Amino acid sequence: MLVVEDERKLAHVLSSALEAEHYEVVVATTGEDGFYRANAEVFDLIVLDLMLPGRSGLEILQTLRQRHIHTPVLILTARDGVDDRVLGLDLGADDYLVKPFALPELLARIRALLRRGRPADVLRLKAADLDLDLVARRVVRGERVLDLTGREFELLEYLLRHQGHHVSREMLARDVWKEPRRATPIDNVIDVQMTRLRKKVDADGTLRLIHTVRGVGFVLQEGEP
Amino acid sequence: MSDWWSGASIRVRLTTWYTAVLALMLVIYAGVTFFAVRHEFHEQLEDQLHADAGGQDAEANPEARVEQELREILLVLVVGFPPIVVLAGVGGYVLARRALQPIDHLGAEARRINAERLHERLSVPNKRDEIGRLAAVINDTLARLESSFQQLRRFTADASHELRTPLSVIRGIGEMNLRETRTPAEYKDAMGSMLEEVDRLTRVVDSLLQLSRGDAGTVKLSREAVDLGQLTRDVVASLSILAEERQQRVHVDAADNVLIFADRLVLRDAITNVIDNAIKYGPHQSTIDVRVHRDGDHAELSVVDEGPGIPPEHRERIFDRFYRIDEGRSRELGGTGLGLAIARWAVETHGGHISVDGTGRGSVFRVVVPLAVSS
Repeated sequence: MLVVEDERKLAHVLSSALEAEHYEVVVATTGEDGFYRANAEVFDLIVLDLMLPGRSGLEILQTLRQRHIHTPVLILTARDGVDDRVLGLDLGADDYLVKPFALPELLARIRALLRRGRPADVLRLKAADLDLDLVARRVVRGERVLDLTGREFELLEYLLRHQGHHVSREMLARDVWKEPRRATPIDNVIDVQMTRLRKKVDADGTLRLIHTVRGVGFVLQEGEP
Repeated sequence: MSDWWSGASIRVRLTTWYTAVLALMLVIYAGVTFFAVRHEFHEQLEDQLHADAGGQDAEANPEARVEQELREILLVLVVGFPPIVVLAGVGGYVLARRALQPIDHLGAEARRINAERLHERLSVPNKRDEIGRLAAVINDTLARLESSFQQLRRFTADASHELRTPLSVIRGIGEMNLRETRTPAEYKDAMGSMLEEVDRLTRVVDSLLQLSRGDAGTVKLSREAVDLGQLTRDVVASLSILAEERQQRVHVDAADNVLIFADRLVLRDAITNVIDNAIKYGPHQSTIDVRVHRDGDHAELSVVDEGPGIPPEHRERIFDRFYRIDEGRSRELGGTGLGLAIARWAVETHGGHISVDGTGRGSVFRVVVPLAVSS
């Protein structure tokens, strides 16, 4: 995986976070270097900052696509003007994130991009003794059948799909609540909904599955986060 | 010539004009008078000649005498002309200077006023004359400038306060935890709380950005026909879980087909903020009444809560950026202090109006937007 980012601190954070997820990471801190590496080596994915010294991210992207190098590209930008986004996607980027972004979000997007093209024929999601049947829309914890509302089912499904990975409120707002904008009221709604879901899922108190990660969001996993 | 003309002061130009016009009038007047007199003289002379035709005339040459007199009159007129014009010019100049002096005075006063001294006003010597009216207009402009400057200053101060608070929390936590070795759990806790502050900071910055885009007029609305009643029901549905937690009842009474021509997302933000506000400040087990109806050519949305209400002195400013009635409480509830400011911007950019009042118990938020014109 190639990370092209000129801000050294951020480049370091990105590479350590990605390495912690067991990806192999190469960092380029200038546009020239990034361009050279993207051309010379083969990567599964490129994380590309748009504002770079030397050669801008958009130029790099454009040239890569012109040369028929179709490595998935996720662009990072500090500008969230709609025009910039559209331009980036038009030039062949696969996804974008606006700074400051949350790491869980970046990791989730990367997983999604790497997964792309593979069949997603999951009909059942499982964690420990929790079993979610997507076809029958039925959730069982151990022997207990859980009575979930529609929203709670979707929320649990999302957590299960990102099992073991952090999920931010921003991701939940966008993907589960389908709220296009982030707003304080929605964060509160998410918190309340999560508390209710947790009461149902972790009711017997033997093994807690849903955890709150302070300052980050939530995670569904067997052990303590 | 034209350079000199446009460079000269009004006083000089006025005097020059005045003098030129006066000179022209004098020349015409003198000319007409002279020729009238000459004509009269010649007629008299003719009559006299006829009368004297019979007897011997005593006088030698009356014609020459008349010519002599006419020349004298012409001399008087020509010699008298320049001093009169000069005198009038000087008089005009003095008069113009006196008349225009208050303007110079006004200019000198205005020059003293700058951004730091916007509270000062021009003196108005006579309210009813032209200059008095001009001064009043300038004073009016100054007053408006002063108030927007004040608003800007307050906003900058508030914004830096809002941004500095989370920054100093982050800094404090970082410094405190570096002082001695702590357990991993403690470090995790510290980082979590730093991240919470980062989140708050991000939200304030995002909201500020949204508002400044609104100010700059760079927000493009993608308008479509929106059913205000439906939109309101959607918002209430998404927030209803918050009301449930507080055992509140949200009652929606929406008329059908209240269509407005609006950007759904922008307006949704505004309605979300207003209804969330009612839920937050309404007491436990209270009822929130939401109504949508048509009023003439406008759609009206009203949200009535049973909360403590907003004292009249705060009502004007409740929509201002970072304005909070109860600083601590609002922060504790996680607000950025910009929700209602964004709501106001959103409503006004749709040509609408948002207001608050209340009678006795609770407050009434009212959003009024023009109805879509059915083509």
